[in-house]
Amino acid sequence: MFFHIVLERNMQLHPRHFGRNLREHLISKLMKDVEGTCSGRHGFVVAITGVESIGKGLIRDGTGFVTFPVKYQCVVFRPFKGEILEAVVTMVNKMGFFAEAGPVQIFVSNHLIPDDMEFQSGDMPNYTTSDGSVKIQKDSEVRLKIIGTRVDATEIFCIGTIKDDFLGVINDPTTI
Amino acid sequence: MSLVTDSPVHSSSSDDFAAFLDAELDSNSLVSSPDEEAEDEESNDEEDAEDDKDLESDRKKRRKVEMLESTLEQEESTSQGTVEQKTEVSVEVDICQHPGSYGGMCYKCGQKVEEESGVTFGYIRKGLRIGNDEIDRLRSTDMKNLLRHRKLYLILDLDHTLLNSTLLVHLNPEEEYLKSQADSLQDVSKGSLFMLEFMHMMTKLRPFVRPFLKEASEMFEMYIYTMGDRPYALEMAKLLDPAREYFNAKVISRDDGTQRHQKGLDVVLGQESAVLILDDTENAWTKHKDNLILMERYHFFASSCRQFGFNCRSLSELKNDESEPDGALASVLKILKRIHSMFFDELGDDLAGRDVRQVLKMVRKEILKGCKLVFSRVFPTRFPADNHHLWKMAEQLGATCLTEVDPSVTHVISTDAGTEKSRWAVKERKFLVNPRWIETANFLWQKQPEENFPVSQTAKEE
Repeated sequence: MFFHIVLERNMQLHPRHFGRNLREHLISKLMKDVEGTCSGRHGFVVAITGVESIGKGLIRDGTGFVTFPVKYQCVVFRPFKGEILEAVVTMVNKMGFFAEAGPVQIFVSNHLIPDDMEFQSGDMPNYTTSDGSVKIQKDSEVRLKIIGTRVDATEIFCIGTIKDDFLGVINDPTTI
Repeated sequence: MSLVTDSPVHSSSSDDFAAFLDAELDSNSLVSSPDEEAEDEESNDEEDAEDDKDLESDRKKRRKVEMLESTLEQEESTSQGTVEQKTEVSVEVDICQHPGSYGGMCYKCGQKVEEESGVTFGYIRKGLRIGNDEIDRLRSTDMKNLLRHRKLYLILDLDHTLLNSTLLVHLNPEEEYLKSQADSLQDVSKGSLFMLEFMHMMTKLRPFVRPFLKEASEMFEMYIYTMGDRPYALEMAKLLDPAREYFNAKVISRDDGTQRHQKGLDVVLGQESAVLILDDTENAWTKHKDNLILMERYHFFASSCRQFGFNCRSLSELKNDESEPDGALASVLKILKRIHSMFFDELGDDLAGRDVRQVLKMVRKEILKGCKLVFSRVFPTRFPADNHHLWKMAEQLGATCLTEVDPSVTHVISTDAGTEKSRWAVKERKFLVNPRWIETANFLWQKQPEENFPVSQTAKEE
């Protein structure tokens, strides 16, 4: 799920950036530091949408660096248990398949793939129904349900299932 | 504390829900929660500062509630069986054996799993761990699949087996010419000598490696298993398999093994009875020697020769290379084909019970079949002869070893043409060969022409 929230961060800025463009430097550094990272509490920071306020800078003794408390708005993405997601398959093997929805990696094990789909090895490993009408392979798009998440300081692990009504392949790359 | 846990008010589920919210919601809740707690538990004065204790007691409460509920359910079901649906659900949850986990969660039921059983499969994906029973299950289902496709497993080592690498700083002046001859990294499928500047390395693929991989991929599901680190292994896999058709996520490096300085088949999802290994280092596979086909080491760079204590000039210095059609890879491919056809075609219909290790032994035994060997001045005196590696090697190759000469002997193995047995061999017109004759036959899986391994006159007589 996506959220638009306000976060705060203390930014350290090198003295060489002090001047007319201080604010621009600060914001570009903020984007570089924060976008694409993951925090256990909020999930992935997708994009910074605006800066609410920049507090008073505090000069550090010795180094000359200045610390600014910055409040910014951003879009974060955090998967939840029970959520339905659409994801792209990245790897298929005999244990199941891995799919990604944006920055989130989801593992769907063969226990949670419908029983009528069987693993086929080869240079393009895939899961296929016995009549061959449905196939999951690399780059397939699937709709899945998250049944478990673990959010670490740096990454998010998700377990998904397609063994339920209205879940499974929604777009097969070979038919395009 | 005991007061809190025992107080009946707190075993209600709404309290539970509040605790859940506390954990899930953002930082504001941290500020507000002590207040809430204080309101709730007016009787307790010590609560103010002790958030940790609060949390702990909350957790205990929750556990207690769960236990209560489950016992209730059991009682109900045993007495009447009225709430069948409810019990069914709980049974289903309990029954999950947690076959494996991804990121610390069972990949079947999504619950967090704590115990550290099973084997980590980090080379497939970080955080993936599979329990032993599940591994067995996967192996046996995969085996059926594999046999249907007439394939076996093949584990390939990288260094000195499929290629040879050296650090750029270890190139000596005579090898500097290689830098200008390196092939382009744009289209690696054609070249064989690569300079990987970002890794400070130069890599030479063994001659015949591409046809080898292509043909082997039709008979085997192939893995790379190297003692190198992960980035190196992946880089080499890119060179060997630019189209990613052979080693799809089957690259195992030393970071993925379960034992230090050892390679093991426990991280390979294939049944041991169907695995063949190509490696140049026997010691790495102490537990799986029967699966191993030992390779002659490929030393292209001078640094690699020195590393193994050879003082001869390297192939790179001689501007030479192994022969494409008769090199080690070409001869081992013939062996692989032989084993494959024996496994699937010559040994009857009972595929499931077959063991490739037995087949490997049988093929090996054909090499020196019918030879009767006598060793002369090969083993140190008093050394138990039948314990020597050459003796064992000869027997594995199908030869018969004797300690004394007799008319049925066909070969005398000696390092010295002046010994009694050597002279006997010359007189009786038997073959007199160097011990390297056996070793070469072992590497090349073929009986070698005897005249290529003459025994030199000893230094003593010179």
